[in-house]
Amino acid sequence: MDLVASFPHLSAAEFHTACTTLVDSFNLLQAASHKEHWTACTLDSHESLLRINKEFPVPYPSESHVQDNEDAGLEEDDEEALDHKDVNTPLIHYDILLSPTYSVPVLYFHISDTLHRYPPTMDTLYKHIITQEYIDQTKDVGVLGGITITDHPILNRPVFFIHPCRTAEVMEASMGGKPATSLGYLLMWIGAMGKSVGLDIPLQLILQAKR
Amino acid sequence: MNVAALLRERVWSASIPVEISLHSADCSSYEAVPYLVHVPRLSYLAFLLPKLHTYFHANLIYPDVSPFDAWLEYDHVPLKWHYPLGLLYDLYSGAEPASSHNTPAEQAIVPSSEEEETPPWKLTLHFSSYPKDQLVQLDAHEKHLHDLFINNVKEADYLRNGTGKTVMSLSKEDSEQLWEGVRQRDYRRFSRINNKFLNPQGATLRHVPMRLYLPHAASPQVGKPSSPSSYPQERGKIEKAIMPGSVRVVQGLIPVSSSSRESLPPELRSENCADKVLGQRQTVGTALNTLLPSLFRNTRGPCLIAAPVLHGAILPLDAGVEDLIRTAAYVDGWLHIAFVML
Repeated sequence: MDLVASFPHLSAAEFHTACTTLVDSFNLLQAASHKEHWTACTLDSHESLLRINKEFPVPYPSESHVQDNEDAGLEEDDEEALDHKDVNTPLIHYDILLSPTYSVPVLYFHISDTLHRYPPTMDTLYKHIITQEYIDQTKDVGVLGGITITDHPILNRPVFFIHPCRTAEVMEASMGGKPATSLGYLLMWIGAMGKSVGLDIPLQLILQAKR
Repeated sequence: MNVAALLRERVWSASIPVEISLHSADCSSYEAVPYLVHVPRLSYLAFLLPKLHTYFHANLIYPDVSPFDAWLEYDHVPLKWHYPLGLLYDLYSGAEPASSHNTPAEQAIVPSSEEEETPPWKLTLHFSSYPKDQLVQLDAHEKHLHDLFINNVKEADYLRNGTGKTVMSLSKEDSEQLWEGVRQRDYRRFSRINNKFLNPQGATLRHVPMRLYLPHAASPQVGKPSSPSSYPQERGKIEKAIMPGSVRVVQGLIPVSSSSRESLPPELRSENCADKVLGQRQTVGTALNTLLPSLFRNTRGPCLIAAPVLHGAILPLDAGVEDLIRTAAYVDGWLHIAFVML
């Protein structure tokens, strides 16, 4: 695989190549029935959107949220979803898109939950998503912190995101001057950006992808 | 005063009359008298919330509710806090935009008679059932709004200068001044900082901070069902369901001037055309042709189904984007362009 031409920036074609490789590797592992903790890894080629899904663990029985659920009301589409076996296990979606402005990948993430327990608020972020060890370093950046809420560029509704204005710096530091392939870039980027918000790459997948 | 400065000031001072009524579900009396206010196009509706809370306080079923639990809606569309009022109005009000036929681009940007003729835009204020999945939740210190604003300012700066240096090197005080200038509507405070962005030392402007907001009906790519394989694990299918007022936002790297023949759209590469455009300014028409090629096939002829609207006026396709950035950008540095269906 070719090296990234203008590191620490990634072109649309390089991003696409890296995403395709990752998705193909994921599918191979799925076919070989490796149990992965990602439930999905897909590329929407039309939108150039890489999506990784994980089940979002609910730490304790959700009795205290019953009230919230009633307030929010059930949306029409939920009726279909009720057929699903573990419908009450929320999913966290990590959406990765290339920023047209900064030419680096950007991480957007949100939780879909039929009981509406995890709306895109700072409360949800700090209570349920960010692991304790990262809270302090995340809170000290920018007006609100390094992770905030903005409209998803494709879904056009609020989701969490990590602002990309420092990503190029982080990537330079992470690669330590070594040349990177687009896949190496993407894997390193997920490693650097994802860990504070529960996104990490299964080792099996890294090995498969690098083959 | 030169034309650019005059325009800048007119864009800054343009406002829209707004009539805000309390939703019956939150109103303890039969009907509360609506709140009438002129809101600047460049301002944000969130700034009104403390005043609205005070005004409607006596009518509220739960007077203890925080002003920042409130949200505004027009025709079932919750209005996004980080869209400036002018953009919201151009997107949703259904008001006929002023047309620039046969008038020079410069005069068409702000129709002078807008304020006298415009009937108030009637919005509904809610203090309950906050649409958390559609609107960013605000906080008492306007931190979220500030954060969204600064992120846009940073991105615009990065586009214009190729680096985020100007914003990053801004002192904390200057950064506060910019936000206070916006909040307090203090043009001098605002423009002192804004001028640093528009005139970076030793650099020319590179790319255009331009975002296009297409209603779903006007967007060729949206509306058709996504392939079943795109989201195999999707539960409940909430994802691509189109909510009322949902728009498709389009942006890309648009150089301020077209500097090489290769960067031109194919139909302009012939000798005659290319000479006119080479080294010349990027226009609204050339930018739209790059970002929305299926809608704007031709850089000069208008698109027959949709028209770009900025500050209440249909943008002439021959308007130069650099002129627009300097005179008609919103306070976050962006040209937020709505599209109306013709």
